[in-house]
Amino acid sequence: MIFIAIVVGCILGAIIGIYAPMVPYTYSGYLAIAIIAALDSVFGGIASTLNKQFDLKIFVSGFFGNAILSMILTYLGQKLNVDIYLAAIVVFVGRMFNNLAIIRRYYLEKWTNCKEKLKTEKTEQ
Amino acid sequence: MKKEKKNQIVMTIIIGAVCVVFFAVMFMQFKTIEETDITAIENMREADLRTAISEWKGKYEDTQKQLESNRKSVQEYQQTIDKNGEASELIDKDLAESNMLLGKTDVTGEGVIVTLTNTQECVIEYSHLLELVNELRYAGAEAISINDARVVTTTDITQINSRMQVSGQRVASPYVIKAIGNQTYLSSTLSLKDSGFIDRYKASGMDIKLEKGNNVKILKYNGEMKVKYMKEVEK
Repeated sequence: MIFIAIVVGCILGAIIGIYAPMVPYTYSGYLAIAIIAALDSVFGGIASTLNKQFDLKIFVSGFFGNAILSMILTYLGQKLNVDIYLAAIVVFVGRMFNNLAIIRRYYLEKWTNCKEKLKTEKTEQ
Repeated sequence: MKKEKKNQIVMTIIIGAVCVVFFAVMFMQFKTIEETDITAIENMREADLRTAISEWKGKYEDTQKQLESNRKSVQEYQQTIDKNGEASELIDKDLAESNMLLGKTDVTGEGVIVTLTNTQECVIEYSHLLELVNELRYAGAEAISINDARVVTTTDITQINSRMQVSGQRVASPYVIKAIGNQTYLSSTLSLKDSGFIDRYKASGMDIKLEKGNNVKILKYNGEMKVKYMKEVEK
């Protein structure tokens, strides 16, 4: 059921995005940072689901909170003439890779376990 | 059991909404990036703008330099033109003067008009005219004409069978000799006692009239002036 909700949400979002008005180029930088933050939250959510620690409150608050915070930081950086958005990208992308590693390990473990099971079954036969 | 199901529905809706927001924003960004003209000045990054500005500045300076050097050369040309203008003015003046002296232009000025008329006692001959012309020249006449035939450097005054010719042009009595020069010199030279032209020939019965004019007009030489044999000696 959740899977269906995700697919429907993705398609609906894509349609809305295509027909939405264009964002001025100057603000597209903020939007990009927000997207990176959101993507990080999504991977974090997937990783926590696999670890069976998923909490909807944490996910949603992280999703919107990180996006908004990163946008504010980028704005602040522009005011201070420091490229803070670089730091944000480094942190978010680093965490993304972390989460991806967790997901990968989980599925690799599952795969090896499956294989070993098959092997033992064969030897038992 | 019921509570769990409710929770699950809420979770599904929330995750769906999150997905909607996420993809909407992502596609908006995609569209924006794709459709924005990055080369437009409004959309260029600050660093790009800086390099562009410095580039243009360099170009501007180069152009400025070129403009200055061009201006300088224009000024130089102007100066040479002015100089040439002066030179050509001088040459023009020279040329006009030479033409006047040669008899290529109509001239006017102060001078005298001598009229010689044949009488029964004395028929005027070419030698008289020659003498008169010579005397006028001696008195400093700048231009002379006999019956409107300009006397120039190549002019001959001849007589063939009692026909008088000036440069091949037939002239007859009365002979009107016009001369431009210093009025006083001319008239006084001609009317010198004993040795002057008038005094000498009036005695022999020649009819001579001497008029002074402030505006004597002498026509130009109407023949051709050609150089056939002589050449300038190379220095």
